[in-house]
Formats: sequence, structure tokens, C-alpha cells
Amino acid sequence: MGHKQIGGAVMIAEPFRTRTEFRLVDFVSHLLEPHEREVVLGDLEEGGESASQSLLAILGLVVRREAALWMNWRPWLAAFGLALPFSFLLMGFSLSVSRAYQQYVGVTILHATGFNVGPGFALLLCNVLLLAGWSWTGGFVVGTISRRTLWVSAALSFAPCLFCLERFRVESLSRLCLLLFLPAALWGARRGWQLACIKRSSAIALAVGVTALTIPLWSSSGLWLPNWALSWPAWYLVATARKA
Amino acid sequence: MLGEFEYLLITTAARLGDEAYGAVIREELEATTGRKCSIGALYTTIDRLETKGLLKTWMGEATAQRGGRAKRMVRVTPKGVQAAKDFYDAITNASRGVSWATNRSGVPS
Repeated sequence: MGHKQIGGAVMIAEPFRTRTEFRLVDFVSHLLEPHEREVVLGDLEEGGESASQSLLAILGLVVRREAALWMNWRPWLAAFGLALPFSFLLMGFSLSVSRAYQQYVGVTILHATGFNVGPGFALLLCNVLLLAGWSWTGGFVVGTISRRTLWVSAALSFAPCLFCLERFRVESLSRLCLLLFLPAALWGARRGWQLACIKRSSAIALAVGVTALTIPLWSSSGLWLPNWALSWPAWYLVATARKA
Repeated sequence: MLGEFEYLLITTAARLGDEAYGAVIREELEATTGRKCSIGALYTTIDRLETKGLLKTWMGEATAQRGGRAKRMVRVTPKGVQAAKDFYDAITNASRGVSWATNRSGVPS
């Protein structure tokens, strides 16, 4: 039990572990790293802090820890240079792929005389692979460079999705078409979070593949800058790759 | 050069010696300065000083008083001692001739 002298009177603070607020303090303390949580809860127990004081102390430390992470350039790049703009661009490209699917495959199968693999289908295939490549590499780089702030990047990535889903008004297409990029992006983010970097040979193959797949887009959308902006994570992976 | 709080923390840890760990340093800091010291300020400063090589920390024993939880023990490194000495010398030199340093009662002569 902690004793504190305030203005000449000795106040006896009930240990927080005996109070009902303990659950809340314990829950919030999980925001700390395990070893730090152990030390901080021990200090609060030893100091006989009340539940509210403990809660404020833990939250204060969590905020300071989180703020310290943002002193580095990496979380900023991941959140505002990758997650946010890439979500918009990849949603646009997902929609483009969905429309291409409708035009080239849907029409061929449903209305024409049979399944006909022509240049339109090849372009669609290129676009699907490119969408997967851009999404995966973008997600991987986000996962790599901002592991401890990944939740912020994820939130900044999902916010545009919700915004666009709410305003999507194309009757012939499902709203989910906007999210075609998401599975590959999430997979990439998970792998980036786990691995940090990939083999150089794999990275080069991926970057060359993504860049080569961008070339057919010249005929449809020209040298549109966002197409190339979406390719830089693939080359970032090459720059940071490890030797096999 | 060290910051004010960094100097206070190193000095407190040095005075406590082998008994220096988070809760005791915090209590001692509050007693000597008369100011509240938050756990956030304490541990982020300890981390920063450890990164600079001025402190060394390790996990200590768990005690019943702490609910069976471990302490984070702190020791000042030789580099930390030198940094604190440099800070003290700078403050002492800078304070020469000023009223609050020469006349400790605080009343200008």
C-alpha cells in the first residue's frame, strides 16, 4: 500500500491491483512492449499509484513512445508517400482492370462464338499481373519501412477505400471491384513485416517484371506518371535486397 | 552536451549506485527537485541516454513489493560520468559572478 504526504497529511493510496479499474490499466498496459510493461507495472505497484495515475502514466509513456517513432522519415514515407496515394491509384487501376474484364472476357464468353484469346485478353492478363505486382510490392515496402507504425499506414490505406466505396455509383460493376488490389497488398505488407527484405535475384525479377508489364500501358494511357510512380517500390526492393 | 533532465537523471543514478532502478530514481528525482517526474519522461530519457552510451540498463530481480515484477536496473557508464562532469563544469563556469551563485540566499548584494 502506498503512502503519500500531501500538505502535511498522509494519504494512503489503495493499490490499483485491488481496484476494479485494474482491468483497464492492465488492458492499456498491453500497448507497451512486454519487457517495458513488466517494469512499468512493477514501478506503479511499488509507488502505490492509484488506478487513474497509473492509467495516465502508462498512456503518457505510450504517447511518448509513439511520438518517438515519428521522429524518423520512414513512417512518414510509408503512411503519406505510399499507403495513402497508392490506395487511390490502385483503386483506380482495379476499376480499370474490372472494366477491361467486362469488355474483353465477359463479352467474348457471353456474346461471341466462343472463348477467343486475342490481344485484348493478353492486355487484360498484363493488367491483372501488374495490379498484383504493384499491390504486393507497395504493401511489402510499407510493411518493411514502418513495422511499428503499420497500423497508421493501414488506417491511411483503408480510409480512401471506405471513402470511394461510399461514393461508388457504377451499376454494371460491384463495389468490391475497387478492392481488387487489397489481397495482394495485404499479403505484401505481411511478408514485408515478417521478412524486411527479399533475395536480390527475386527482387530483380520482380522489378523487371513489373516494369515490363507497365510498357503495354503506353498504348492505352501513355507515359502516365502515376504508372511509373507505382513501380518505384519494386526498385526499392532491389536496392535493399540481400544477397542470396 | 546533456540536457537538464538528463544530467539530473545521471546524477541521481550515480548517487544511488547499485540500487538505481526506475521507481527509486523517479522517487529520488521528485524528492530532490520538488517536481513531478512522469514515467514516460523517465523511461524515454533512460532509453536515449542508453543509446548514447551514457547509461547501461538490465532487467533486475522481481520483488513481492512490485507484485512479482522485475526492475529495470540502471548504471552510469564512464562516458556518462564524463558527460555529467562536463555539464557540471559548464554550469559552474557559466554561473561565476551571478548573484544567485555568489549569494546563496538569493538576495542581490
